[in-house]
Amino acid sequence: MHHPLLNTYQHQRSPIHRLPAAVKLVGATVFVFACLLLPRHGWTAFAVAGVALLLTAALSRIPALQLTRKLLWVEPFALGVALLSLLQTNGFQVFVFTLVKSTLCLFSMVLLSSTTRFSDILHVLWRARAPSLLVTTLALMHRYLFLLTDEIGRMLRARKSRTFSRGRLNVWRSSATVIAHLFVRTSERAERVYAAMCARGWKT
Amino acid sequence: MNALEVQGLSYDYADGTPALKDVSFSMAEGERVGLIGPNGAGKSTLLLHLNGILPEHPASLPSVRVFGTSVAEPHLTAIRAQVGLLFQDPDDQLFCPSVWEDVAFGPQQLGLSGAKLSDRVARSLAQVGLSGYDERLPHHLSRGEKRRVCLAGLLACEACLLALDEPSSDLDPRGRRELKELLKKLPVTQIIATHDLELVVEICARVIVLDQGAVVAEGPTSSILNDESLMLAHGLDRPHILRHLHPH
Repeated sequence: MHHPLLNTYQHQRSPIHRLPAAVKLVGATVFVFACLLLPRHGWTAFAVAGVALLLTAALSRIPALQLTRKLLWVEPFALGVALLSLLQTNGFQVFVFTLVKSTLCLFSMVLLSSTTRFSDILHVLWRARAPSLLVTTLALMHRYLFLLTDEIGRMLRARKSRTFSRGRLNVWRSSATVIAHLFVRTSERAERVYAAMCARGWKT
Repeated sequence: MNALEVQGLSYDYADGTPALKDVSFSMAEGERVGLIGPNGAGKSTLLLHLNGILPEHPASLPSVRVFGTSVAEPHLTAIRAQVGLLFQDPDDQLFCPSVWEDVAFGPQQLGLSGAKLSDRVARSLAQVGLSGYDERLPHHLSRGEKRRVCLAGLLACEACLLALDEPSSDLDPRGRRELKELLKKLPVTQIIATHDLELVVEICARVIVLDQGAVVAEGPTSSILNDESLMLAHGLDRPHILRHLHPH
């Protein structure tokens, strides 16, 4: 199955792809922190950051449409956070500021994940002596997200093939059952994965 | 000394359902034994006992011995290096981000690193016919390829007892044939839980029939699998291949 959001790495032969993963990871992290520290009226700085990102995107030779699609997938999170700021005084200005800031940060992460394999990022974290529990959790999460997505897809397809009524209540009810089943299956799989890890010498 | 010694092994699931009842058998070094039985007979549960994944709370008197060592603390680390367990679902076993890392996982736990580790991984991948798959992602592999990567992970640990749970279940005919040749070539003791009775006929000299958690028959493959009434009584069938095995 295809995972438009999860399968983010796009193989290309570009200068950005060739950069060491550590450089890209540090660069993206510094960029995010710099964006966060920018003052509210620093529109010039925002513009410079945006142009820098666009230049990097162009250098990476990843089609603009693909990058935009990925950004739009994650944009609702930024939008959700920014919408909250509308409730305060001077809200619209804060809304625009938060949205621009978050979009820049998200775009840098989209670029990082599109030009660097996730396993390379994990290696960098490992070498930088990041807590091993964190790295292992990230590795397992990345590995099993695909499986989980496939499982949801299969269950929904199976449900659809046996759904004959158009009643909305039925759809909600069967969706709830699918989600409940998924919880049970995931927890059972977690137990089996842990057993498989122990079987090959993990923390014995 | 026997490679595997199981003596009076019983196990109940957490809800109290008996899974294994007084199971006893042994395997000589280098022997290849088929473990057959209907669904829910306890085959997978039995295999999980062979390297101490089960029971969760080990009894004071261990029922399983591998090369004379009891499967219990403080020997579990050594036992898990000796016993390679192939899980029924390859996705449970492939938990690392790339093929190379997954095959390297076991040897790394054993303290291998650098060139030795790379050599071991390359050799194991070559053994299962997957050289060059190092950077592939597990979720991009076919079921058959996943199964072979799992097997490479066990070979990389240089286990001396392989406990294989349904090793041929996801393989196409070519993959199955290659698996059969590979298992035949491996000079290690193997216990193979499977419904693939033809595979058992082809590579196992002896079989153990498990039903409702108990050993109901044990002996040479041809005599057990040719016993039609025994096979039918335990949810099995006389394999087609045996019906046509006659001298020309």
